[in-house]
Amino acid sequence: MSSTDLLAQEGLGRDRPAAVRRLLARPELGSLIAAVAVFTVFAGAAEPFLRLSSLGTVLYAASTIGIMAVPVSLLMIGGEFDLSAGVLVTTAALTSSMVSYQFTAVTWVGVLVSLATTLAIGWFNGFMLGRTKLPSFIVTLGTFLMLTGANLGVTKAISGTVSTKSISDMEGFESCRRLFASEVTVGGLTIKATVWWWLGLLVVGSWVLLRTRFGNWIFAVGGDADAARAVGVPVARTKTLLYLGVGFGAWVLGQHLLFSFDTVQSGEGIGNELIYIVAAVIGGCLITGGYGSVVGSALGALIFGMASKGIIYAQWNPDWFKFFLGAMLLLAALLNAYVKRRAERGPR
Amino acid sequence: MSITRFRPSRRFWPVCAVLALAVTAAGCSSTGGRRAEEARAKAAAAGGSAVTTPRWKVAMVTHAGAGDAFWDTVRKGAEQAAAKDNITFLYSNDAQTQNQVQLVQAAIDQKVDGLLVTLAKGDAMADVLAKAKAAGIPVITINSGQEYSQKFGALTHIGQDESTAGRAAGTELSSRGRKNVLCVIHEQGNVGQEQRCSGAQSKAGGAFQVLYVNGVDMPDARAAISAKLQADPAIDTVLTLSGPMAATGLQAIQDAHRSVELDTFDLGGQVVAGLKSGSVGFAVDQQPYLQGYEGVDLLWLYRSNLDMLGGGKPVETGPQILTKDNADALAEYVARGTR
Amino acid sequence: MNTDAATNTDGMGTELLSLDGVGKSYGTVLALQDVSLTLRAGEISCVLGDNGAGKSTLIKIISGLHRHDEGSYTVAGEEVRFDSPRQALERGIATVYQDLAVVPLMPVWRNFFLGSEQGTRRWGGLRLDAEGMRATTREALARMGIDLHDVDRPIGTLSGGQRQCVAIARAVHFGAKVLILDEPTAALGVKQSGVVLKYVTAARDAGLGVVLITHNPHHAYLVGDHFTLLRRGRMAGSHPRAEIGLEQLTTEMAGGSDLAELSHELARPPVPDSREERPQP
Repeated sequence: MSSTDLLAQEGLGRDRPAAVRRLLARPELGSLIAAVAVFTVFAGAAEPFLRLSSLGTVLYAASTIGIMAVPVSLLMIGGEFDLSAGVLVTTAALTSSMVSYQFTAVTWVGVLVSLATTLAIGWFNGFMLGRTKLPSFIVTLGTFLMLTGANLGVTKAISGTVSTKSISDMEGFESCRRLFASEVTVGGLTIKATVWWWLGLLVVGSWVLLRTRFGNWIFAVGGDADAARAVGVPVARTKTLLYLGVGFGAWVLGQHLLFSFDTVQSGEGIGNELIYIVAAVIGGCLITGGYGSVVGSALGALIFGMASKGIIYAQWNPDWFKFFLGAMLLLAALLNAYVKRRAERGPR
Repeated sequence: MSITRFRPSRRFWPVCAVLALAVTAAGCSSTGGRRAEEARAKAAAAGGSAVTTPRWKVAMVTHAGAGDAFWDTVRKGAEQAAAKDNITFLYSNDAQTQNQVQLVQAAIDQKVDGLLVTLAKGDAMADVLAKAKAAGIPVITINSGQEYSQKFGALTHIGQDESTAGRAAGTELSSRGRKNVLCVIHEQGNVGQEQRCSGAQSKAGGAFQVLYVNGVDMPDARAAISAKLQADPAIDTVLTLSGPMAATGLQAIQDAHRSVELDTFDLGGQVVAGLKSGSVGFAVDQQPYLQGYEGVDLLWLYRSNLDMLGGGKPVETGPQILTKDNADALAEYVARGTR
Repeated sequence: MNTDAATNTDGMGTELLSLDGVGKSYGTVLALQDVSLTLRAGEISCVLGDNGAGKSTLIKIISGLHRHDEGSYTVAGEEVRFDSPRQALERGIATVYQDLAVVPLMPVWRNFFLGSEQGTRRWGGLRLDAEGMRATTREALARMGIDLHDVDRPIGTLSGGQRQCVAIARAVHFGAKVLILDEPTAALGVKQSGVVLKYVTAARDAGLGVVLITHNPHHAYLVGDHFTLLRRGRMAGSHPRAEIGLEQLTTEMAGGSDLAELSHELARPPVPDSREERPQP
């Protein structure tokens, strides 16, 4: 049997060098360019934007999106949505607060029960998806509505009002606050705990995606679930674990909400699930799954943070912010589709 | 190479459960929480109905969105008056006007003896209120829609005029010597919030700016306010329009490392704590409890004795300016959810 | 699991699997009835049949997707009844589906190791040995005669035939003893089909037994050692290569008397209410 170069007729050589082509095919590339562009614009337009204290504020805004954008982008690479992600954050905060208050327990008890609750809801999403074979859009839309109602109903039934009661005078509050809502100031730059959580999740998420067997499965179940199943990848379990990841992210952000603001409004969080998806898409995730990047989602969150606060630093009219965000999303989605077509069709 | 897969051990969940139980048992907080609340509540006593009128039915239909602490207080007031006046109190709400119209229609169909309605978008309510009138149901409008109240044949309006409240806040701001005020609107397009800010602006005297933030995302709102404070060092006062936003504003002021005063409309636990500690200068309250309580009570007075307070002129429940002096008494009332 | 392909040639000629009188029905529908087949190492056994002849049911039974109702299924002398493809895979039976072979957006090396990823010693095997996997992919493909330097490109950029080849190389690398190929040439042009058939013979030369499912007798005759014909769920013929010529195979495949009948019908002028308006492809 002679050695045949299958690709000889396609002329790998005549194309750009592999390294350049690989760089152009990186999912993060578009968001990196956009992030640099947004930074440049606001650095030029708003003098306070470049101050260290402002950097802290922008990072904080980005981190509260980014903490959720990490698991949401992993889930989207795995080919699924989670519309319940926004209100799940509120559920996490409410659960933690009410458990601690009602049982007059050390706040750590509430924190742990809250973790169990968000993981259980994540598991429920994954289980329903695997069992019913319904699209995740429908399953998590159902969870979203149920959680929205339960947040209100349960809070009201237990607390008597629609917001939780203060737990700041309870044991454990200060240590929880240190973990979830503290801040460190280094030479004028104030870094909030959420930023550390964000970076931690980012490193772990990216490592899992690119350097573990599970990460390989995430790409596979999102790219072609049937092909993945045919080579023995546990598709349903992979997706369920991704939903557990979203639950974990919601738990972290929910605890920040609670220990930073002390009382929690039960109607909060609605609409944020879309912001997380926007961050993931701007960061290069394909809506259809199988392609994307965790680092990209972080850049997406950073763009969101820079743009939403940059407008204030520049003293511009904020009415147009959503318009800008929408245009950004469309551009990113188009770019992603283009990159995907190139990746699938090859350099021809 | 072998194929190993992650599989949570069967013992995983039971271990979790046992752990959680153990932590719960050992983890009681000796301060705060429900136990403290129950101790407080023991002092309070319950009262029954004190009148001899037959059992009437009064419905309240509001434009409240889901999960707004303000409307909870309105409802508490109404329920208290209903208990006292031997009235069955029915509450329903929907933020979308067309749905609110349907809820009013449902109340008419139930043949209630009195109706309390908010008129956030007045014109849409004209037809259904005409039906109520035709059915002989006395109507009182509360909270919003004072300008429509009389036109639609309501007995009276109970509430606070937002422009008046805004002006009261502005007067207080100027008497406290505030020079550069940032008014934080957390619902873009809400007329009442715009009126509060513009009313305050008309009397405040100094520089006045408006900032729009997202009221359902507190971390985002917090970062937005602190960004504004960092961008503009001239600002010396932040004026928020609700209790929860006041708490967020306080956080933002800390974040920005600025010493600016925070003043607010409406109350809340953290506002009262702020009044007490001095981090909140003053609060302008429209007394939601009073709006619910007086609504039910005035309907009862009208049905049982044809009384009408002020002869049908709008009953103002605010603005009431609250400061450090009121903080101690307020703390208790806020905790039980009536302020 | 990773057996060197060369050592397999020692077992040339040993029986790998055999079906004896196997049948399967879905509810009241009889999909497959009394099918027998024996596969030896280093042999290509072709299963031919038209659409709906029962080829895919047969594949599903062999690869463990469905269980058979009748007859016996023996792998390496031991009777089996598979509940999942995983069990078949563990016994060295690998299936390459025409449309499910690979995940298009993933790089070649990730596809190659999908489901059988290898970890590094450190990190307790949690961390992927990416460099090792890239190198192994390159080597394994080279051993099959596929020269692909950039294993980082998405496999979707390869042509359909190339993807099949990578899937075949993957099955060979992971020590499959039996390779089941579901219509590997169905969607391909002549040139690409030739390339795929070459890798099928390469797998055979490496000592694997190959079950080649196809409806193209020309492709089958190029590489097959044994031919099994299916028609309407039953065996319509079973011949070693020595006993049958291409022409006879083509005729039998097309259904012999059926074809004569069809040509008879087509010869007539069209009848308005005829249900046979279009000839079968």
